[in-house]
Amino acid sequence: MLRLWRYFGSERKRLILIFAFVIATSLLAVAAPYLIGSAIDAMSAADDGGVDFGLLEIILLVLVAAYVSEGVLSFLQSWLMAGLSQRVVKQLRGSLFGKLQKLPLRFFDSRSHGELMSRVTNDIDNVSNTVSQSTVQLMSGFIGIVGSLIMMLVLSPLLTLATLITVPLVYLLAKFVTSRTGVLFKEQQAQLGKLNGHIEETITGLQVVKAFNHEAKSIQQFEEVNGKLLQVSLKAQIWSGFLMPLLGVINNIGIATIAIVGGVMAVNGHLSVGLIASFVGYSRQFVRPLNEMAQIYNVLLSGVAGAERVFEVLDEKEEEPDAPGAIVLSNPKGHVVFENVNFGYRQDVPILNNVSFDSPKESSTALVGPTGAGKTTIVNLLTRFYDVTGGRILIDGRDIRDYTRESLRLCFGIVLQDTYLFSGTIRDNILYGKPDATEEEMLQASRMANADAFIRRLPQGYGTELTENGGNLSQGQRQLLAIARVILAKPSILILDEATSSIDTRTELHIQEALLKVMKGRTTFIIAHRLNTIRDADAIMVIDRGKLQEKGTHDALMERRGVYYGMFDQQFKNVQT
Amino acid sequence: MPYGRYIRKYWKSFLLAILFVTIEAGADLMMPTLLANIIDEGIAEKDMNHVLQMGGLMLLITAMGAVAASIRNVVASHVSQKFGAELRSDLFAKIQSLSFDSMNQFDRGSLITRLTNDVTLVQNFLNGMMRIFVKAPIIGIGALIMAIRLNWNLSIILLVIVPIVIVLVALNIRIGFSRFMNVQKSLDKVNATVREYLSGVRVVKAFNRFDYEEERFEKSNEEQRARSTNAMRAMSIFNPAIMLTVNFGIVTVLWLGGRWLNADLLPVGHLVAFVNYMTQILFALMMLTMVFTMFIRAKASAQRVGEVFKQENGMTWREEGEWGGETGGSAGAKGSIGSIEFRNVTFSYGGEQGSPAVDDATFACRPGETIGIVGSTGSGKSSLVELIPRFYDADSGEIRVGHTDIRELDPSALRERIAIVPQQTMLFTGSIMDNIRWGKEDATDEEVVEAAKLAEAHEFIQRLPEDYQSLLGQRGVNLSGGQKQRISIARALIRRPDILILDDCTSAVDMVTEARIKSALKTYAQGMTCLLIAQRITSVMDTDNIIVMDQGKIVDKGTHDELLERCQVYQEIYRSQIGKELKTDVV
Repeated sequence: MLRLWRYFGSERKRLILIFAFVIATSLLAVAAPYLIGSAIDAMSAADDGGVDFGLLEIILLVLVAAYVSEGVLSFLQSWLMAGLSQRVVKQLRGSLFGKLQKLPLRFFDSRSHGELMSRVTNDIDNVSNTVSQSTVQLMSGFIGIVGSLIMMLVLSPLLTLATLITVPLVYLLAKFVTSRTGVLFKEQQAQLGKLNGHIEETITGLQVVKAFNHEAKSIQQFEEVNGKLLQVSLKAQIWSGFLMPLLGVINNIGIATIAIVGGVMAVNGHLSVGLIASFVGYSRQFVRPLNEMAQIYNVLLSGVAGAERVFEVLDEKEEEPDAPGAIVLSNPKGHVVFENVNFGYRQDVPILNNVSFDSPKESSTALVGPTGAGKTTIVNLLTRFYDVTGGRILIDGRDIRDYTRESLRLCFGIVLQDTYLFSGTIRDNILYGKPDATEEEMLQASRMANADAFIRRLPQGYGTELTENGGNLSQGQRQLLAIARVILAKPSILILDEATSSIDTRTELHIQEALLKVMKGRTTFIIAHRLNTIRDADAIMVIDRGKLQEKGTHDALMERRGVYYGMFDQQFKNVQT
Repeated sequence: MPYGRYIRKYWKSFLLAILFVTIEAGADLMMPTLLANIIDEGIAEKDMNHVLQMGGLMLLITAMGAVAASIRNVVASHVSQKFGAELRSDLFAKIQSLSFDSMNQFDRGSLITRLTNDVTLVQNFLNGMMRIFVKAPIIGIGALIMAIRLNWNLSIILLVIVPIVIVLVALNIRIGFSRFMNVQKSLDKVNATVREYLSGVRVVKAFNRFDYEEERFEKSNEEQRARSTNAMRAMSIFNPAIMLTVNFGIVTVLWLGGRWLNADLLPVGHLVAFVNYMTQILFALMMLTMVFTMFIRAKASAQRVGEVFKQENGMTWREEGEWGGETGGSAGAKGSIGSIEFRNVTFSYGGEQGSPAVDDATFACRPGETIGIVGSTGSGKSSLVELIPRFYDADSGEIRVGHTDIRELDPSALRERIAIVPQQTMLFTGSIMDNIRWGKEDATDEEVVEAAKLAEAHEFIQRLPEDYQSLLGQRGVNLSGGQKQRISIARALIRRPDILILDDCTSAVDMVTEARIKSALKTYAQGMTCLLIAQRITSVMDTDNIIVMDQGKIVDKGTHDELLERCQVYQEIYRSQIGKELKTDVV
């Protein structure tokens, strides 16, 4: 909760103003029952025991004034609070998103998107509810309790004592209930998280679920978790549900006590009727905030839990900041050197083992090898999605950790195995590579990637809106867009990670022509399984089990009759049979 | 009405809960009257006994209220939680039963939110309904009635106050509703932005487009802020206004009461009670406005959930639709099931109007045959095979599997016989063992290992620290694309299906491994009908028959040699990939 306070930052002055309003309205609310009691007493205050109209009028005028100012102040207060709470929430949401931008890829790879989503949305939402509703309620509740207590004490200490019997009851009850619900709510959240995980997975993979007739089993799994969730949440509900009605009952016990004790005292002439009326009002004001707190208890709990989950992300280790004095890589030439590079995504599973190579500028290097050999990992290291665990990587003669990340990544153009397109028009997606490109440049890039033809066939051409991840395009078409995007960005180092694996070979031929043009004057890394796509590379590196096995041109490697030869031979045999 | 069955199931318990809420509210309502009685008859007459009697009665009624509240709590919790759990699992089952056609109308992310957030919101609302939402109006109306009964004259004031308040509340709801709906919509937008960022994080990082993403997010975030503030501000005028109106009423009551009291028209106790009832009415009204925001959200959520329930699964089948046809045999006649026949099949994703993904396709394959399908990107290869397990139904034409029109077959019975390895690999959280066993639940460990060996996955699995027990998914091992594909192949193979569909599933597997998988398949898949989609001609050239597709149409079919001779599209594909390699080695 304290950390949340920081997000109020510049709003603190306004918040103090709001709290001043809250205090004022609460005090006015506290004054009202007293005024009502005095009004009733004024009705028998005249010398003959009749109504003292002069006094009554004055009291009522004061009461009207109190009510009006209470109304105005509470309006102002909620008006200000609406603006303030939403600004705070926006800021919190913004800083969470900003944080997501700074986290390393490792973070995203090891977490399900659904779970992260729910932090940015649900949890922030919970915090928002807490901030906008609960803070004011808590504040006014507190003042209400204290104010009422003071007024009661002033009016009649004895009757106050009688009313206060209920306080220990409230305290014990609240403590008893919350100690149980706390645990139960936590458990409930955990089960809910599990359930949501299952939901997300099943729905994303629904095609497989259906193809394998796994609906029944998946539903059964769902039922299991759902059943557990039901058990826990039922208990949590029942326990937390007891709090409110019981507080209501305690409220009534308070009134009954006042009636009895007050009644006895009034009969004995120690107390006026108006005083009893005021007291009933106060005892209600005294218990009502407690009541309200019981209601907002759930909101509050989930708000706190939400804040915790949000801060958990905010506390994650960020992508290591650029080294002090990191330099901007400008006009990169694209000379890449790996020196004894070691790396593993997990400590116990090494992926790359002492890999060294030198790719001069404007050369093309192909990486081949069986799946899982570590080809994509090399790309991940080069772009600093991950940092090496041993050795170093040099670009233009300097360790890449000496450059600012931004300038480093700007010199790469990557076409990945799985393309990702954003919702928006096709034009927006191509321009993603270079937002300030002219229409002509954009069209040129698209033509170069052989995407122009199919885009023009679409009803809205370049203005076609893509659905999430370009679901309305075929996988090959998506890849063409991704390639156009990179062509437009004109990077000095080009990385093609299985870029054409899902494009048919006829189209691939056209693209390769285009890529050849783009590759000219650029250092290029090509990852491919199909050896025909890489034969013209300046150097071919065969990687297997995290080690660089062979390196050389196609002809040299063929002559060597080593691993590459074997692979090529296999492919060739395939053709022959 | 998708919620009908829940109403039928729970209305009794629901009414029971409402009954107890009413008793609870009744107890609250009795208090001021009893208090008035104590003042007017006990204190005024100095009758101590009466004071004690009435005080005792108050405590008794309080106790009754407590019991009612407790029972209500248990009943209400049961109803709401069970309803929520049931709604959630019905929705889950419903989504599972939907055809892809109906499902594609929602994006996956929104389906997930509907199952999670929306159901919870509806459930919370129901729970709240049985607590405060019903109690507030009961207390409000009850207090009104009690006040009128207590003193007719003073009630004239209520006659003025109540209509004003009703108008205020109605205005409040009207103004608030559309605004809060807008808030919900803008929240959806914020969520969409985040979801997109998360899925595309690699691209964002690669292109260094943080500023752009930040800006996009800022836009939706700002919109959300502006709309929420706007909605909340619109509401902020009403609460004080309602409060003020009722409070003026109280002042008037005191003023008039004073006059009537003086004229001996009114006992002082009545006055105290009347003021009390008015405060109760006020609190009830304030509660209602609080309920209101929840109501809006719950209503929107209920709508979103209902939308999914409304989707009909358009697929039908004859209950007795068994593998019939000429053989008339049942499922046991394995050989006949493997035959596939397409007759003038046309299909498009957008229904009849859309441009066809499969256009007038006709072909047949005998049991045990292996058919290769080649064609350029977007030529309809995947669409063609997705029709076979009835992921979609064709718009026109007829598909027969085992000589039976598949529209007469229960999709699940049909899919029992088919194993598909999809283009995009999807594995599930759990161990590798679990994932392979997906294909056949009762498979022994040996069968799993055998399938893994066939798919060339055994070797790398063994190298993992926990081999077959290694966990996949979140925080699990990091498998490469090709490794995942091989597990997905093993999952299909273990099923020993009659029809095996491989949809370009070795794109990330290297050539050597692919060749080994293929030769292993040759022995394993004997008698199995096999459909093989591939980009590379090398993958399909040794199949019995090759179908060449272009722009949704089947342009030709035949063996590799036949096609090489006569099919222009095939020749082009062949030249584009093989010519080069052959040349060098011939040279």
